[in-house]
Amino acid sequence: MKHRFLENVAIADIAFEAEAETLEGLFAECGKALTETMADPEKIGGAGKKEFSVEGKTNEELLYNFLSELVYVKDVEGLLFKKFEVKIFPGDASVKCSGDSLEKIGAKNLRNDVKAITMHLFKIEGMKKGFKATVVVDI
Amino acid sequence: MSGGKAMKLNTEMKVEGVSKNVWEISASEKSGMNAPARIFATENLLKQMDEGVFEQITNVACLPGIVNYAMAMPDAHWGYGFPVGGIAAFDPEEGVISPGGIGFDINCGMRLITTNLSYKEVRPKIKELVNHLFEKVPAGVGVKGSLSLQRKQVLEVMSSGAEWCVENGYAWEKDILHIEEKGRIYGAEPANVSEKAIGRSMNQLGTLGSGNHYLEVQVLHAENVYDEAVAEKFGVQGNEQVMIMVHCGSRGTGHQIATDYLREFGPVMEKYGLKVRDRELACAPFGSDEGKKYYGAMACAANNAFANRQVITHNVRNVFEKVFRKTAEEMEMNLVYDVAHNIAKVERHSVKGKMKKLVVHRKGSTRSFGPGHEELAPVFRKTGQPVIVGGSMETGSYVCVGMEKAMLETFGSTMHGSGRTMSRMKAKRLVKGEQLQKEMEERGIYVKSASYAGLAEEAGMAYKDISEVVKTMDEIGISKKVFSLKPVGNVKG
Repeated sequence: MKHRFLENVAIADIAFEAEAETLEGLFAECGKALTETMADPEKIGGAGKKEFSVEGKTNEELLYNFLSELVYVKDVEGLLFKKFEVKIFPGDASVKCSGDSLEKIGAKNLRNDVKAITMHLFKIEGMKKGFKATVVVDI
Repeated sequence: MSGGKAMKLNTEMKVEGVSKNVWEISASEKSGMNAPARIFATENLLKQMDEGVFEQITNVACLPGIVNYAMAMPDAHWGYGFPVGGIAAFDPEEGVISPGGIGFDINCGMRLITTNLSYKEVRPKIKELVNHLFEKVPAGVGVKGSLSLQRKQVLEVMSSGAEWCVENGYAWEKDILHIEEKGRIYGAEPANVSEKAIGRSMNQLGTLGSGNHYLEVQVLHAENVYDEAVAEKFGVQGNEQVMIMVHCGSRGTGHQIATDYLREFGPVMEKYGLKVRDRELACAPFGSDEGKKYYGAMACAANNAFANRQVITHNVRNVFEKVFRKTAEEMEMNLVYDVAHNIAKVERHSVKGKMKKLVVHRKGSTRSFGPGHEELAPVFRKTGQPVIVGGSMETGSYVCVGMEKAMLETFGSTMHGSGRTMSRMKAKRLVKGEQLQKEMEERGIYVKSASYAGLAEEAGMAYKDISEVVKTMDEIGISKKVFSLKPVGNVKG
């Protein structure tokens, strides 16, 4: 599982690619990349827990809704996560995640506030072994 | 006349010169274009434009019901769906409304406030001032404002925008006349807004957010006044005058509304047989139930943004009162203007000699109505509206005035900023935030940032030359330069 940030895509925003052997792993890796956009992951503990589920007709819809939910939770509950356990079923995904409150992470360890997940270049591709996702987030 | 290859542009498409600073990509250059694309830029700025601008503006030209041209301003750069710095007008019967043509940060915009303080008075207190502003106007990831609204109040803000601020003591009555649409877009329908968007609205009023959003203390130097008569009308009093500029939008409210409708418009496009070249251009016929519903929700976010910038103004006035021990009225902290640069508006424009109602999308573009326009408040009827063009935190900003030619050429629109030329990731690799902060302080700009990484991403080198961007539209006669401002203190999101 890995992710990397893309340097010359949607230049005012932030784009990343994530890869994993399983779809569940891909969702978790995208979650980590999203968190890394907003904070230094090394400074995030695991005291804050959250469970939620999202619906979607396709895997791409599920991933979009999963990442959008993380942005919503950041604004409303003030939580960012660094560990994700994802289970994908036909039509929905359930997520258990752990992380910390923004307060506990500390202002000096926070980075960019992600406004939303865009659909620009948004995709999941099957690879020889596993999956790859491309995501552009609005900053 | 110049072709793309001859000029070494970042596109293989043929780009023809139309007139000075105006370029066109013919509708035959890409399959599905319903209109040509026009780019407003000097030759130098055109060469600097990234490949995304050419690709995205021609994608916009493929949308149904587009009128005249899809347009990119001189500050244009690669966005999502529309390029940032994009304009498109659609026929309300045959055309569409697209959340991607507005942006997630609905009614992101600029606001400028005057003072009668001179830089000589402010300079000894600049650190104290910026530190207090940083505390009272929260910036950064997931920040909450000092106001905690009940659900009922959130809905009131969505319906009435800056008027809510007047009724609740966060605005002077005369402020309203100095805001686009008087700070309230009619047609807002809170019933079309999700509970999630309402939830994200409860604690964010009066906050800056992050990215390129800022609150800046700026100084006007006499040599940077280009039109004295108009500058005086806009509140310029003299050399070394201190002003305050604000750049932010509708925060989580707009972000959630745009996300909700982007999702909703996928199946809507199937229903109406609409196809787009980028999923971020998801749209609905403007006249359809779905299109009307989004417009009503978008207006809620736009009104929230007007109120957000107004609450920030209230807090800025309070900080100045505390630091300078005078009332805001004594310091003449008047609002010059507040402009939206991410929005769709229903406006009347001349198309082939006939006045027509159009749905004008401005994504990173400012309204630029000229003298005599009926929509302008009496105070700007003779001059044209102020156009606030935010620059990078290192180089400064401009105030221009809308011209009549904008009504003929660009649906009454112009640029919104200097425009990025370098990605955030690259800027962060090349610049260290802490170092930049020190260097800027040595140059007389005191910056307080929520994040060093965020600060590095906003370095001046990541942006185009704002003077050339502004000059482009000045030379065409779309918006004329009035004065420019230099930063001395900055609160960075």
